[in-house]
Amino acid sequence: MTHQYVEPVLTKFVNEPNSHTLDFYVKNDKGYEALRKALTMKPAEIVDEVKKSNLRGRGGAGFPTGMKWSFMPAKPVDVNGNPKPKYMVCNADEGEPGTFKDRLIMTKVPHKMIEGMIIACHAIESNKGFIYIRGEFYKETRIMQKAIDEAKAAGFLGKNIMGTGYDCDLIIYKGAGAYICGEETALLNSLEGKRGEPRLKPPFPAQVGAYGMPSCVNNVETFAAVPYIMNEGAEKYASLGIEKAGGTRLYGVSGHVNKPGVYELPMTMTLREVIEVAGGVRTGHTIKAVIPGGASCPMLRADEIDVKMDYDSLAKAGTMSGSGGVIVLDETVNIVEAVYVLLKFYEHESCGQCSQCREGSHWLARMFKRILDGGGTNDDLDYVAKICSNMAGQTICAFADAVTGPALSSVKKFRSEFEDLIRNGGLHPKKGEAHSHAKEGAHV
Amino acid sequence: MSNINEYEIKKPKVDLNYSSQLKPVHSDPNPEAKPLPKVTIDGKAYEFKPGDTIMQVAERYKIHEEIPRYCYHPGMPIAGTCRMCTVEVEKAPKLMTSCSTPAGDGMVVHTRSEKVMKSRTGVMEFLLTNHPLDCPVCDKAGECELQDYNFEYGPAKSNFKEEKRVYDNATTKKLSPLVTLNMNRCVHCERCVRFTDDITKTNDLVMVNRGWHKELEATTEAGLTNEYQGNLTDFCPVGALTWNDFRFQKRSWFLTRKASICDGCSKGCNIEVHSDADVVYRYVPIFNEMVNGHWMCDSGRNSYVDFMNPYRVTTPMLKQNDSMHSVSIDALLASVNAQLKSASSVQIVVGTDATREEAALLKEKVPALIGKTVAVSYFNGTNGVTSPADDKKLDQLLKMKDLTPNTRGVADEGLAPLANGELNAEVAILFRNGRAGVPKMKADQKLVLWGVWSQKDIQSLPSKNILGVIAGLATIEKEGSYKNVDGIVQKFHPAIIHRGGALSAHQVVGLWKSLT
Repeated sequence: MTHQYVEPVLTKFVNEPNSHTLDFYVKNDKGYEALRKALTMKPAEIVDEVKKSNLRGRGGAGFPTGMKWSFMPAKPVDVNGNPKPKYMVCNADEGEPGTFKDRLIMTKVPHKMIEGMIIACHAIESNKGFIYIRGEFYKETRIMQKAIDEAKAAGFLGKNIMGTGYDCDLIIYKGAGAYICGEETALLNSLEGKRGEPRLKPPFPAQVGAYGMPSCVNNVETFAAVPYIMNEGAEKYASLGIEKAGGTRLYGVSGHVNKPGVYELPMTMTLREVIEVAGGVRTGHTIKAVIPGGASCPMLRADEIDVKMDYDSLAKAGTMSGSGGVIVLDETVNIVEAVYVLLKFYEHESCGQCSQCREGSHWLARMFKRILDGGGTNDDLDYVAKICSNMAGQTICAFADAVTGPALSSVKKFRSEFEDLIRNGGLHPKKGEAHSHAKEGAHV
Repeated sequence: MSNINEYEIKKPKVDLNYSSQLKPVHSDPNPEAKPLPKVTIDGKAYEFKPGDTIMQVAERYKIHEEIPRYCYHPGMPIAGTCRMCTVEVEKAPKLMTSCSTPAGDGMVVHTRSEKVMKSRTGVMEFLLTNHPLDCPVCDKAGECELQDYNFEYGPAKSNFKEEKRVYDNATTKKLSPLVTLNMNRCVHCERCVRFTDDITKTNDLVMVNRGWHKELEATTEAGLTNEYQGNLTDFCPVGALTWNDFRFQKRSWFLTRKASICDGCSKGCNIEVHSDADVVYRYVPIFNEMVNGHWMCDSGRNSYVDFMNPYRVTTPMLKQNDSMHSVSIDALLASVNAQLKSASSVQIVVGTDATREEAALLKEKVPALIGKTVAVSYFNGTNGVTSPADDKKLDQLLKMKDLTPNTRGVADEGLAPLANGELNAEVAILFRNGRAGVPKMKADQKLVLWGVWSQKDIQSLPSKNILGVIAGLATIEKEGSYKNVDGIVQKFHPAIIHRGGALSAHQVVGLWKSLT
């Protein structure tokens, strides 16, 4: 990181070789001081502090974290009147295409996240946390497990933490690599060993979560921000952000930029500035489209990227802030092909519970493939909108909406590219066949 | 018979065999009492029990046909995945699934608004994209929910130009000797998975893979092992799971559907007899909350074979010159009557598969016709059961140890169990409808057989000294009542007309009387 646009909350030491070790964290980054402070506070005070910091969930939906914690029932009991345990769950199933910020935290500053999670456990009066790590993250899992072992050995985790009498245990659970398990209720099902399919809500996880107990699910980046809030105070954290969203955000910029990577930036920056920070679009090329927050966000055209990167401005621009994965596509990209890659991913990852999502994601992927192969018609383009309107907002989870994001926005904003493909007989037309094939359309 | 536990089996008004029987609820008329909450559905206010879902309110007031459904089944946990039952709730931003959304006081629900109808059309279009359009060769046609709902809500045409999904070996997959799976037709409602998980608790079925190539498979190589597999084929909304015994035997629209009772055990499951030209093709369960819920077991389902089999004796038979001959009922009764009168002692053994009315007749009327003291007792003889006290549940659902339908009813008529389970009179009248066992007897015991007997039963009797066989009617052919294991008296009416020469017990007694 050459430029600092804001005081880094999470990434100050990520370039140091030993930043993942407990020694380094304790020596240089006020390691586990926040926890020491938090354990002297009452749980409700911590929740209030986090509420004051305006920390919003970093997983994609942007739900205020303090509010989420305050939804946890105070003294849950089962049908027989016996007290029920509460669980804190960390969503480390970073599966959104184009997003790689949690991986940075887990590999470079795992203790920050672990400390934040222990504080969060204390805040909701829970003694057990589960860290659900994506199946593909072998290295990350290893580093996290090592960090947990270190913390346990140093007495920051386990029984009687720092002599305060508070017990907390964190357990790592490795997923099997399903995108849908990033959805909190699917994650809980997967954690329990069931099929990773989102649950019907209500009941929400705060009532019936992991193993039927009240649970709270937060993202890695959310937890990692908590020690800073405890150390420096909620006001300071809130001042780093904007009115309704405190703190900084991690943006994973990828695609056709000169310096792809994770950047910690304030939310006051525009999308264009974020791309500039990442070295700008690769030299000699121009931006064609940008996906501002991970694959499921509707894409923006090059003339639309002067939009602020906070939750509400992006929503106003018809897209989402999502998980902060900025994907930049330059003019060499064929949009239809790029979106087909995403749709193929969604077709493969739909859990298959709800009719619309199961069949619709399949249909869209096949339709885009047909257009790429030269079998498309102009009717197909109108039909994309119809399929998407039948999918969005109709299913248990937001997966169907995620599918329609790239599909619908690409047809709306880059219709001429689709029409070119249809007219020319696909991406790689055979000579002499282009016109007749396009007219004829595909065969059923 | 004014028994509060008496129940007359009737065909439900709604054709779907899994319709619930929730009743309307009314507020306490007492002005002090708190009135029940009300929900407005399609402009009409309905009172409901707190905790009801919108679907359950609709079921209470018999307006649930306004709400189509695939994954919802009143007997199973809610999944909420097919998204077919969505309704518009005022002030809710999205459409809500009526199966899972609890009704609220003052809620205003529209089941047929433009938005709802568009959503249903959308779901239908999605489901049909990968469903084969080969209804003419599908065995479910005519009773298929995909067909019905598509007729009502589906799009007139679809723009789906892609290749349809085809599973490997989809059309020939046998889940068990009883059930065939055609995965290509599946709409992934997962009723079957939830049934084996939550109702039979055998966890036989599971969905493997994900998304559009999600596939139903048996959990183990043994396939389906539960004893309620037939239900899977009843509630499967499409032709994915079919009952091998019925598969390709008859088009469903040719079937006459009449209510009756299963006499396979002491549970007395309510059934619908599906027949054409008085030939039975299958039994399916009718919902009865007090008795069988929505289900029935496989052995009960297949038990129609016993009445439809070619070995059943359906004409009066008389022993003449050491062999059995088909004769008129008058000739048979005259001969039997004479032999009974001249016998030194006569006993009547009523099988516990006799109806309560038949048992009363045999106890009161028949001894008078014979004109001497006749010992009347009952005999069960299945699974070692001798009296109602021996009966017990075999699993958590329906199956009972006693394999006859009316042990309690027959015992209620004042009959005693047959002593030692052994015949002792010179001539014994064995009344049995194909379910009860046969008592022990001497090798030269003189017998008069009455009721439903098959030639195989007769051949396996220890005694060959049979005076005659009075062919009787089977449960589905007659009317009467059974008292089941829980003491519920269930009345039933003929579901089919017997086309052979068998007569009801009442007719036989009437003719016998006219002889004397």
